[in-house]
Amino acid sequence: MSEDKAKLLPFYLLLDVSWSMDGKNLLEANDIMPTLVDAIAQNPILGDKVRFGLVDFSDDARVQLPLCDLLDPNLALPGLAARGGTSYAEAFRTMRKQIEHDVLQLKADNYSVHRPAVFFLSDGGPTDEEQEWRSAFAELTEYDRQTGAGFAMYPNVIPFGVANADPHIMQQLIHPSVGNKQMRMFMMDKGNNAPDAIRAMAEILISSVLNSGMGVANGASGVVLPDPSQLPAGVTSFSADDDDFL
Amino acid sequence: MRDSQAEPRGRHAVDTALVPVAERHPVAPETVGEPGRAATTVVPLPDERLLSRHDVVLDGVRIAGRSGGLELRAASARGLSHQYYGKVRQDEFAYLVTRDGRWLVAAVADGLSSGPDSHRAAEIVCRSGCVLVERQLGEHDAAVLDWPTLFGHLANAVIADACREFGLVDPTVAEVAERMAATALFAVVAIEPAPTGERAVHLMSLGDTSAWLLCPDRLAPWEALQDVKNAGSTVASSATAAVPAVPYQLAPAVATSLSPDQVLVLMSDGVGDPLGGGTGEVGAFLAEAWRTPPDPLTFAAQVGFRRRSYDDDRTVIAVWPLP
Repeated sequence: MSEDKAKLLPFYLLLDVSWSMDGKNLLEANDIMPTLVDAIAQNPILGDKVRFGLVDFSDDARVQLPLCDLLDPNLALPGLAARGGTSYAEAFRTMRKQIEHDVLQLKADNYSVHRPAVFFLSDGGPTDEEQEWRSAFAELTEYDRQTGAGFAMYPNVIPFGVANADPHIMQQLIHPSVGNKQMRMFMMDKGNNAPDAIRAMAEILISSVLNSGMGVANGASGVVLPDPSQLPAGVTSFSADDDDFL
Repeated sequence: MRDSQAEPRGRHAVDTALVPVAERHPVAPETVGEPGRAATTVVPLPDERLLSRHDVVLDGVRIAGRSGGLELRAASARGLSHQYYGKVRQDEFAYLVTRDGRWLVAAVADGLSSGPDSHRAAEIVCRSGCVLVERQLGEHDAAVLDWPTLFGHLANAVIADACREFGLVDPTVAEVAERMAATALFAVVAIEPAPTGERAVHLMSLGDTSAWLLCPDRLAPWEALQDVKNAGSTVASSATAAVPAVPYQLAPAVATSLSPDQVLVLMSDGVGDPLGGGTGEVGAFLAEAWRTPPDPLTFAAQVGFRRRSYDDDRTVIAVWPLP
């Protein structure tokens, strides 16, 4: 048995940069990473363990920041620009490829890697065929422990919906949706504006990263989402079995 | 004035020529590989609940036998993560010499982080555990100790303590374990060698505290004596088990022997995890560091080596046989 170099907690932000995100929404989205870096810089326990990656998507998906140490002094944060439509399928396919690549690389380097978490932020519904994004999502998330079929490195997926994101669709992207490690989604309340909601989502993302690190310190494993009663104004969290949307 | 009475129990003439002279050099922190940012930037906060629960406890003693004896070093240090979040050290160790002077009984326990008061369980496991082992050694051969009964007593002691301290009434084991639970590793070591030069060692483990034989001169110096996390090994033991949630079926006790060129090392997973299988940098560093018994402060610095992302509490008891 080889020796592990370190235990890492990988997180990804999978961010919608379709045209509808242009303007104030994207300005807020561009602020997420620097705010996260500041928060992690203040917690050295977490700084040694957290790795973060950023993938944006539109008609295609692009790895804007490969999984990295956010406190690396040579790190240059990417500036995001809007382009095209909203292909969830491309987002999920690229995410799967990137996770596989990153985890294999880290394992080859002898790191011990926790299951990744993906924060999926979108402001609208998918522009691709339902069957296409569904099968891409299944390829990203489905895994059968008994047979080993599927994607063993499947991430926890935490959907963030703002503006015109469809809660019914976002709800189906919660993963795992059942069991004792089930995730939740976070939706902008009706009447709130999208830039404020994106700022709130950034807060939730950061507090999830911080709590997860603290959770590991306290014997828990995996992602620790903020308590539904502790959310910033204008955002509500739902589980996969909430039936509040008609 | 010298006591002219009979020697106190367990104490025999100590050959002072063999007592190492304390090295008076400043103890610098040890680093293995990349230290990580936490090692240099964490500001340690106290756990304001418990002012007598010390960050570091440390022993360096000689346990003398009629012939030979044992040199013991033990250190338990609060991890960087507990320092940062202002939580107590949850690891513990204890040891005693049996009244007949034949056996060293040593224990290491790791209080589970999931319970806010797990340090109490770790204290009970170590202190009561050593006493219970000694009591059994008065009645049983060391090879056939009644571990299920002993763990049953420890579970009851932890439950009783939780009831007393926190006013729990008729709690379930799971309710107590949520407040406090600890792994347990016991070693019973013959103080004097058999004519072959070997010393009998009996081990019992519950959870992921681990026992090792260190043979510094071997190419692969670390030999695991119990199941180590994520690795196959001599015997299986449940990695999640902890007092008071003791499984009906305990892993079998391990009987082995300590050769004159070996070191018996008991450790919590704060050291066991970075040690892994013992074949990497940490294994090489500790094997070299513990070739001979270091002075106690140096030992503590070695147990507390800095290595990125390994921020758990660290506890080690190391036992060197004396000729």
